[in-house]
Amino acid sequence: MSVVPVTTPAETDVEPPVSLWRDAWHRLRRNRLAVFGLMVVVILAFTAAFGPYLTPYDFLSQDLSARNLAPSMSHLFGTDDLGRDVFSRVVYGTRTAFLVAVVVTFIAVLIGVSLGAMAGFFGGLLDKIVMWLTDMTMSIPNLLLVVVINASLKSPISSWMEGRYLVTLNPIYRETVWVDFLLVFGSMALISWPPYARLVRAQVLSIRSRPYITAAQALGLTNRIILMRYVVPNALGPLIVAVSAGLGTAMVLESAFSFLGVGVNPPTPSWGNMISDGLRVWQHYPHLLAAPAAVLGLASVAFSFLGDGLNDALNPRGAK
Amino acid sequence: MMANDIRPEASRERLLDVKGLTIEIETRRGPATIVDGIDLHVDKGETLGIVGESGCGKSLTMLSLMRLLPNKIRVTQGEANFAGRDLQKMSNSDLRKVRGGEVGFIFQDPMTSLNPVMRIGQQLAEPLIYHRGMSKAEARNRAGELLKLVGIPGAVERLDAYPHELSGGMRQRVMIAIGLACNPQLLIADEPTTALDVTIQAQIVDLVKELRDKLGMSVVWITHDLALIAGLVDRINVLYAGTVVEDAPVDALFANPRHPYTQGLLASIPKLSDQRTTRLSSIGGTPPEPGRRPKGCPFAPRCPLVEQICHERVPSLEGTGKAGAHRVACFVAQRKLEAA
Repeated sequence: MSVVPVTTPAETDVEPPVSLWRDAWHRLRRNRLAVFGLMVVVILAFTAAFGPYLTPYDFLSQDLSARNLAPSMSHLFGTDDLGRDVFSRVVYGTRTAFLVAVVVTFIAVLIGVSLGAMAGFFGGLLDKIVMWLTDMTMSIPNLLLVVVINASLKSPISSWMEGRYLVTLNPIYRETVWVDFLLVFGSMALISWPPYARLVRAQVLSIRSRPYITAAQALGLTNRIILMRYVVPNALGPLIVAVSAGLGTAMVLESAFSFLGVGVNPPTPSWGNMISDGLRVWQHYPHLLAAPAAVLGLASVAFSFLGDGLNDALNPRGAK
Repeated sequence: MMANDIRPEASRERLLDVKGLTIEIETRRGPATIVDGIDLHVDKGETLGIVGESGCGKSLTMLSLMRLLPNKIRVTQGEANFAGRDLQKMSNSDLRKVRGGEVGFIFQDPMTSLNPVMRIGQQLAEPLIYHRGMSKAEARNRAGELLKLVGIPGAVERLDAYPHELSGGMRQRVMIAIGLACNPQLLIADEPTTALDVTIQAQIVDLVKELRDKLGMSVVWITHDLALIAGLVDRINVLYAGTVVEDAPVDALFANPRHPYTQGLLASIPKLSDQRTTRLSSIGGTPPEPGRRPKGCPFAPRCPLVEQICHERVPSLEGTGKAGAHRVACFVAQRKLEAA
């Protein structure tokens, strides 16, 4: 007495197979704001990677005969008070912003995801310690921390390097730009990981108790396979969204620190220190403020649109 | 397949034999017993129905066999032998081979028991690759066959579907296909039809019945719906508050329920012959909370036939039929049978 339903032709035509990622891509493409965000992000990333090789001027070369020029064909964004091409400096600032954002987000995600996943997976005392650490870190005002690190570490490191240079005459010790970056990266990564840790912990906690995890265990799969194919892919969507938003936040944060003079220092161009310079003379030369500020705003908005779009696209059940 | 009790004892081979299994939960007031020294057995080729109301420990008992209990709940006593090996003492890696390979599981909720971000073909292939060492292509072929076996229309095209693209009934069929993937000797179905509507329930029951006869495996079907499994199972164990109160061949149980709890359960099944004005019969009171079990028979506070002894001692499950196949844990029922 088989009651297995007979296959009818109407039931067999199923839609063509699509993978989760291709599916998400289709949904992302239908979202105009997200596409705009993605385009801007891709252009900025390209600029960061190759821009400095394509600009007509060096970002450091000064031309004192051509100071504070208004935007023109030869200087797209004009020149600053030292006669440096503002366009070239904005392009190089993109590299600074991306470098800081990518490295900081990478470190923060690495710390946050491992701590959060461990806390969620093992629970107990480890979970308590990690969450305690997270709360403590979140209670530190980020600006204060960066100021403190700058004030306490920058000059000892600089003078130590100067001393080494005098002793060894090794030119490596004269290059102090990377000290800026190291301090900026380090202090920003130290304060950026808690949101990732919390997010991943919450994800792992909720996924761990889902019936499909028990079902996977009942199939005899190993913990490693369950973690890699069942837990992580289900936690990935929110994490990708958070990373996209986090990149934008890190960029803005870098600019903010540089604006206040505790981030990347001149002459290395950063949107933040360019805005800071431009602010002093904006009544006379508004382009010096407008150019870096506009690019910073555009980047920030683009990342947040992209993050929103990804959020909708990566949820297979949110399909409209 | 019915009337298993007339088979001679020697021809039966125990596949699963659970003895004195006790499960406790950690609470703020200390450990509380959920399952109290339960005895269960399933023979080769036999279908056992486990019936009981919510929270009586049906699912936990089955999960504990595969050591899949959630946090804070653990087995404190007893053993569970499967094909001659104690599942509780087995190493983790041996146990993983039993899980999915020799014992298939079908879970209650097909909506949440499939990985939402993995195509069903992959989910079906996973145990085949892991337990049978198949290549991806072989596993995919076999996955297509399995979907056909469980009656999914357009089986091969469906391999690339995501769970959310299927209906509840179809998903439960996929779950059954995953449970059957490695030709297990025992299929444990934990209320597999609870989340489905009535016509689909009947289809699933018939599907499992057909597959059982085709593949010759043993089945444990957990349910709270006695009527649903009447045509499927050989034997029924009635669970109450973590103990088996009655163990009987299905015909005997329906014809002659002996435990007052079983009698209450059967009386509460609505009948077509009932008048519209007849109230459904129910059992008064609620089952004991874990940690607040009565000293004597756990059913005593709700029992219509309760006597003084019921409050003082726990009745054991005693055979009363000719071959000892119909067993009941009730002082009153046992005395009646002795007198008869």
